[in-house]
Amino acid sequence: MNIKVLGPGCPKCKTTYNNVLEALKQTGVEAQVEKIEDIEEMMKYNVLTTPVLMIDEVARIKGRVADVKEIKELLTQ
Amino acid sequence: MLKRSKNYSPNNHNMEHVQSLVNEICPTTTQAWVKRGAILVDVREKEEVQLLAYDVPAIIHIPLSEFEIRYKELAMDKELVIVCRSGSRSLRAAGFLINHGFDPVKVVNMKHGMIRWVQRGFPVKGDISGIVDANAGGCCNHGGEKKSGCC
Repeated sequence: MNIKVLGPGCPKCKTTYNNVLEALKQTGVEAQVEKIEDIEEMMKYNVLTTPVLMIDEVARIKGRVADVKEIKELLTQ
Repeated sequence: MLKRSKNYSPNNHNMEHVQSLVNEICPTTTQAWVKRGAILVDVREKEEVQLLAYDVPAIIHIPLSEFEIRYKELAMDKELVIVCRSGSRSLRAAGFLINHGFDPVKVVNMKHGMIRWVQRGFPVKGDISGIVDANAGGCCNHGGEKKSGCC
């Protein structure tokens, strides 16, 4: 599994990234996690509102912090 | 004159990120574009615009939160200068338009947004104190607090 958190490095983006790590820890799911802060890289994904949580190249949550519970649900679907 | 490459970084005011997708112009060049008929596209949220608005002859307001569904309201044959508070959100919106077929020569981002526009003394409607007070920070600045409509 590949997880990407896209955002310019604002507090909401950092919270989402930390929540991803916590969700992975709690579920035991193995994944490669990337934090993408580069504006050009973000624009390749047509990102408008951040943060964006992408799982296996699909944007699952856009424009808000994803909490640990919902990330866990996404990981175990 | 168009500048294509350097971009304001919301994370660090001393660094500039390089990006090549979107042409960027400064507020002064934006004035020239406006005089020749370009349309400003303000992507700030409604409450931000109510407090302080760009005062130009042709402006369209499409908040970034509605941009994905409303961007088709924009004419593809017009010159569009995308603007916001600091130039960060508008850059993403400009990139979005170009990725959706808009001409990168006609769609540009205004660097530094309303903050620099006010600093230059260009026309606005509303209260500039919020911009002046927050001058040292800016949306999504590293370690800073979130502003309304930020990111």
